[in-house]
Amino acid sequence: MRRLIASGSRQGNILAIALATLVVAYLAWKVTESPSQSVQFAFNGLSVGAVYALLAMGFTLVYSTVWFFDLYYGAAAAIGAYSVFYLRSKEAIGGLYQVQNPVVNVLFAAVVAGVVAWALYEILWPRLRGRVSQRGMYGIVAAAGAAAGVYSGLVFTYTDNIHLLFGPVAGLAIGVIVALGVREALQRLTGDEGGRVAAYVSAAVGMAVAVVAAALIAGTPETKLYLSWAVSCLLAGCVGLGIYRGLYVTLRQRARSPLVMLVASMGILLAISAAITIVFESAPRPLPDAFGSRPLEIAGGNIKGFNFFTVGVSLVGFAGLLWLLQRTSFGRSVRAIGDDEDVSKVVGINTTVVIAIVFFIGAVFAAMAGILSGHDTAIQPRMGLLLLLKGWIASVVGGIGNLYGALVGGFALGMVEQFGIWDLAGEWKDVISFVVLILFLSFWPKGLLPRK
Amino acid sequence: MATNTPETTEEGRRPGLIPRLANGNVELWANLIVLVWVIAFVLWQGVGFAITIGTVFAIWAILAVSLNLVIGFTGLLSVAHIGFFGIGAYSVAILTSKTDYSLLRTEGIPTYELPFFAALPVGIALAGLTALVVGVVFNRFRDDVFVLVSFGFAIISFNLFLNARAITRGAFGIHDVARPVIGTRVLDGELEFLVMALVCLALVSALAWFIVTSSFGRVLTAIREDEQAASVFGYQVTHYKLAIWVISAMMAAVAGGLFSSWTSFIDPNSFILLESILLVSIVILGGLATIWGSLLGAMTFVLLEEGMRFIPFLPDVYVGQARQVVLGVMLVLLMLFRPQGLLGRYRL
Repeated sequence: MRRLIASGSRQGNILAIALATLVVAYLAWKVTESPSQSVQFAFNGLSVGAVYALLAMGFTLVYSTVWFFDLYYGAAAAIGAYSVFYLRSKEAIGGLYQVQNPVVNVLFAAVVAGVVAWALYEILWPRLRGRVSQRGMYGIVAAAGAAAGVYSGLVFTYTDNIHLLFGPVAGLAIGVIVALGVREALQRLTGDEGGRVAAYVSAAVGMAVAVVAAALIAGTPETKLYLSWAVSCLLAGCVGLGIYRGLYVTLRQRARSPLVMLVASMGILLAISAAITIVFESAPRPLPDAFGSRPLEIAGGNIKGFNFFTVGVSLVGFAGLLWLLQRTSFGRSVRAIGDDEDVSKVVGINTTVVIAIVFFIGAVFAAMAGILSGHDTAIQPRMGLLLLLKGWIASVVGGIGNLYGALVGGFALGMVEQFGIWDLAGEWKDVISFVVLILFLSFWPKGLLPRK
Repeated sequence: MATNTPETTEEGRRPGLIPRLANGNVELWANLIVLVWVIAFVLWQGVGFAITIGTVFAIWAILAVSLNLVIGFTGLLSVAHIGFFGIGAYSVAILTSKTDYSLLRTEGIPTYELPFFAALPVGIALAGLTALVVGVVFNRFRDDVFVLVSFGFAIISFNLFLNARAITRGAFGIHDVARPVIGTRVLDGELEFLVMALVCLALVSALAWFIVTSSFGRVLTAIREDEQAASVFGYQVTHYKLAIWVISAMMAAVAGGLFSSWTSFIDPNSFILLESILLVSIVILGGLATIWGSLLGAMTFVLLEEGMRFIPFLPDVYVGQARQVVLGVMLVLLMLFRPQGLLGRYRL
């Protein structure tokens, strides 16, 4: 607690303590007045807070690397949610709504193809230089990109067979993760750095797991919804990566101030949300029921099992991001770029690639948050901007640029919003969160857990 | 002149119109294209529709000119302007509405039935007062953080319009907003209202021009370029920024009053965040720190919607959305190739 308060100015501290005392007193009075209702509010706060935490984590990761506010982040949430709707609209509203649109399919296939081609080029070219000619390299990359584009076009066109089409890829991804984990564990156990045995064993185990997982997924059509989550997250990530590579890289070299980047990303947000409205109409739409959408009664409050899953996702996402940032060389480069980009370039970090991956991860987090909140309530084309702003507020509350802060800030904002509307009506919750933001920025601009 | 092409030839003589166009002078081309577009539009749709569009243009243009004073002369990218616009609109609507809501048995507001020209100053004063309070709080923020808090103001004001039903009737909206009366003449014709709106636009633009060219405007420019240097010279930077912020908010309230009187019905949907983002894009499109640029931006914005009707296979409902797509792409392209906007004097 002492460390928390030490960051503000003196008057700020006094005011913050007074405010915090008031809030705690108000809460205590409310809780004693009706405990069951307070449990309900706590549950609501938890489920909303998990979404905000996810948003804040991705947001703070991107922001503390490139130091400009990327409004595409909001569009990524909308793209994720609408992509799930696109893939599964028949289950959501009973086959009434036909969104199968060749133009949209081709557009997204082209984005995926471009991103795959670029990523492959960046990965392979430094290793194959000298062995393959430039033209040959372009040929390989173009072929791979085209294959990826055709494949993703197929996935988007035949949405009913998504378990057959996307199952193998999902299985492969699981296999690779398992293989990496096994290799890490074996190396730890035997103390053998980069041993051959470890590599073979882990590859064998990973391949076996991949085959089994792929067969399992392809054999169970019920996984369609969850596979469509994965497709949507990857898609939003690819669009984010494509925008970074195609636009932001050039723009950042020319821009004098972060406001230029902000305005450009505002243009992207405008265009994407309008395009979504043209394809899907502006009315709110449901996502199909996920598991655990029946409310359970616990301690006098109702909560859906799905909300616990949301909380779990945000915790897992936090742990994964923390591991990535603290334990891997990629994380070290990300932090180095956040501290000083020019110096990191000098010491040999490929900043373009590292930042591209950061954008990809950020967009995946946003898409996940959009999907989870869409399952909880409904989706609208305009949802992106509000979610983005909530993630932004949560990361300011938690302390911008700090991952722990993003988690704490997200849940704190969710709780404050839900408990704040106790005596008001539910429609005031946006006002509450922005009042919280302005209070924080005025008196406690570094947030709860400031970046070190 | 912030263009790439030389404005004068080697002999020091200003080249003619055609050579400057041939040299790719963006400012001239932008003016020319919009002029041709306006003429084509009037010929195509007839004068009657042009009058309606002209009023829309005048309202957007007042907003754009006023917002440009903030963005172009203090460098603060404000998304809050729609709130002041709404305050002006709601003040005029509430004070002049003739419907007696107590008879309708809906959530009512008291009726005042003031004339338009009595209600408008109230709206302007209210917007100015709000801007003063908000400005005192916001004055410490800049850059991205200012954008975030101005988003906050826009959302808070929208929620007030929507949820403070005792004052604004919430989503029901307010009907029967009065048209302006000059002498005994009610301005209920479209043409009369257009003239009135254009007069307001001219007044606002003249005031903005006066501010920009006065010593006050020069100090603002100095602050925008280097805030520290300006404060070293002894200028109270925060006071200057606050003053222009309040003036700009009051101008936006004029646009709001005109808007609610013109449509004679308002509800919170006219004051959503998106409108504010569109307004910011108009200002950036037209160019920062130029009044003519803002007028041009507003004209482009208004005509863009009509231009979208040429797109084949696009249902009429989605014309506004298509305009947003084009506007978004234009913003991106501008940031890439011309960050000061079409006629801008200042780069973001």
